[in-house]
Amino acid sequence: MLNYRKKFIIVISLLFSMLILFACSEEESTTESSTSGSNTLATIIDRGELVCGVNDNLTGFGVINSAGEFEGFDIDYCKAVAAAILGDSSKVEYVPLTASARFEALAAEEIDILIRNTTWTASRDRDLGNDFTAPTFYDGQGMMVKASSGYDSIESMAGATVCVLQGTTTELNLDDRFTGSGIAYTPLTFETNDPLQAAYEEGRCDGWTTDKSGLASKRAGFSNPSDHVVLAETLSKEPLGPLTRDNDSELYDVVQWVVFGMMQAEESGISSSNVSSMAANPTDPGMARLLGVGFDGGEPTDFGFGIPVDFMQNVISQVGNYGEVYDKHLVPLGLTREGSLNAQWTEGGLIYAPPFR
Amino acid sequence: MLSHLYNQIKSQSSISEKLEVLRNDKSFRKFFVQFIFAIFMAFFLFYLITRAFSLELGFGHLTSRAGFGISHTFLVDYTSNNSRWDAYFTGVINTIRVSLVGIILATILGVLMGLARLSKNFLVNRIAAGYVEFIRNTPLLVQIIFWQLVLLQLPQISNALTFGGISVWSNRGILLPFINTIQNGSLWVLVLLIGLVISLVIRSYSSKYKEENVNFISPNILSLITFLIIALAGYFILGIDLYTDVPVLEVNQYGTYIQSGGFALTPEFAAILFALVLYTGTFITEIVRGSIQSLPKGQTEAAQALGLSNYQRITLIILPQALRSIIPPLTNQYLNLTKNSSLSVAIAYPDVFMVSRTIMNNAGHALPMLSLILITFLCLSLVISLFMNLLNKRVTRIGA
Repeated sequence: MLNYRKKFIIVISLLFSMLILFACSEEESTTESSTSGSNTLATIIDRGELVCGVNDNLTGFGVINSAGEFEGFDIDYCKAVAAAILGDSSKVEYVPLTASARFEALAAEEIDILIRNTTWTASRDRDLGNDFTAPTFYDGQGMMVKASSGYDSIESMAGATVCVLQGTTTELNLDDRFTGSGIAYTPLTFETNDPLQAAYEEGRCDGWTTDKSGLASKRAGFSNPSDHVVLAETLSKEPLGPLTRDNDSELYDVVQWVVFGMMQAEESGISSSNVSSMAANPTDPGMARLLGVGFDGGEPTDFGFGIPVDFMQNVISQVGNYGEVYDKHLVPLGLTREGSLNAQWTEGGLIYAPPFR
Repeated sequence: MLSHLYNQIKSQSSISEKLEVLRNDKSFRKFFVQFIFAIFMAFFLFYLITRAFSLELGFGHLTSRAGFGISHTFLVDYTSNNSRWDAYFTGVINTIRVSLVGIILATILGVLMGLARLSKNFLVNRIAAGYVEFIRNTPLLVQIIFWQLVLLQLPQISNALTFGGISVWSNRGILLPFINTIQNGSLWVLVLLIGLVISLVIRSYSSKYKEENVNFISPNILSLITFLIIALAGYFILGIDLYTDVPVLEVNQYGTYIQSGGFALTPEFAAILFALVLYTGTFITEIVRGSIQSLPKGQTEAAQALGLSNYQRITLIILPQALRSIIPPLTNQYLNLTKNSSLSVAIAYPDVFMVSRTIMNNAGHALPMLSLILITFLCLSLVISLFMNLLNKRVTRIGA
């Protein structure tokens, strides 16, 4: 009898839970759809903090300095976005991510934006459900070898072992270049940089391939940088930039135009040192629109980003323009701008902002 | 009983009295708590399932070209032109390889150290105790990285040790001379394995038969003959041509040192293997020691009284009885070792987890890939459990 009652209770409770499940399924699905098209910008403003996925181990782009703070080119873009949205570049929570974990973290809404020297590719844009805003740095994949090895080209590396980071486009470009040209090689794929660097230094692999900026950064960190050379050949195009989730247009637009705004500020000659005087007294209507102030007593132009109209003033005064950020973090690594793709378009580079109009 | 409760409720006039009856009924209270819990669980599961279905499911992307190289391929010929399924399968083989070798070596190490812990020889005893106390439960990841860094201290390839041309030792790998075949090598190994299983089955059945027919041919000889027939048949049918594969170190025209041939022990494979064996070995040591110590002392004394040697005492009396309590916890350790092999992702050994992560990064579809990894590990675990349960059944048979 007791057994019967137990069974009865179990069946009843299961039935009830099924009933409630079906009754609520409609309500559930409506909440589903509202979260999938979420507005991360509103979330950031409510939270009062930007959660930014970054690198913590790449000097110049994203690294923890001796004071325990994040610094670098990508970190400054996190700060710029925080300055634009929240008016304070320090309101950022940095989440260090490995190359292979970064897209999962973005998709799972652990972070608001990902600024982690990430290459813009078609499959990442579409398949992985990301939206790339705009390239902040035009990179290309390179190959670092020991100077004593005598390698001068990829062709001369037949039979070599190459260390590469897992889950990167680098791994695929490497294979395209070697297998595509019929050059035998062995890839040695690491998940993080530290064991990879140890393996390279100990001669476990003949070459180390990643973005040239990354190689310059790592080479600068060696005790004797001149023992290592980065081969002249560029294996691939690597446009790096911030990205947001798909269907997150409000935040996407803000990040994109902060990037463009910093480029435009450099082109217009606005820097962190003169932004306040320029804002008080803009020299032309274009500058006034960029800084969100009225020209000649007129009303400031509101582009409708959902953040203060003078957001670029905060960005430039607290972080700086594109050239300032570049000079601060990347020039010390030996990545000169002159003649590279990262020069302003007026000087033959690709740094080009659409008009603020 | 429900009808009883119903009658009770019916007999009360006001609502508050009816509620009072419900509140005081023990079985209803229990039911109510469980009911609330069931609702919460149902909601939670429903939420998870709807979230899962909102992501894209399916394995279609696995048929595309992989496009990335894998440093360790074993038994299979994988190139970047193969499909992602092939890459995944290469990873599975690598996981099985390190787990299988690890299980065998960890068992040998564990049994030897377990016996050593019980040795009356002070030095042997202390060495085994030191091994267990030092290595047991230091983080496995740290041990793996430690071994990798140690193995990288071997000479660089340009200064590799060659021992007069029979072996190559460098931090690219330790190459040992090896008997190899020109073609169908892995098929023949498979045939040999099948032959081994068949001959063991024949041995088991024929020894039962011999118990009744004393004049029957010795089971050992019968199984050996079976094995040899299968091996030789495979040898001729598959056209096996054995040769001694001596490793070579050469320099190509661009000045790149290349080592090839022989049996290769790469630093990555060796590091994960050493770490797994040493780590799991400590636990097996303690399992063996505990099981032997749990046997009554009379067993040892009886063996000594019968005049058995130490070796006979351990192999005929102690270990067979200890096995009954060794095998269940030993199975856990085997499962742990297999699972822990996925930590090799830290040191560039391309196991199934590492290859899957690369695929996930290239193509997305994280959820199907993770499910596939879970199913793969589940299959490995179930196979290990199956074998160990069969073994357990055998050793727990009374009078076996």
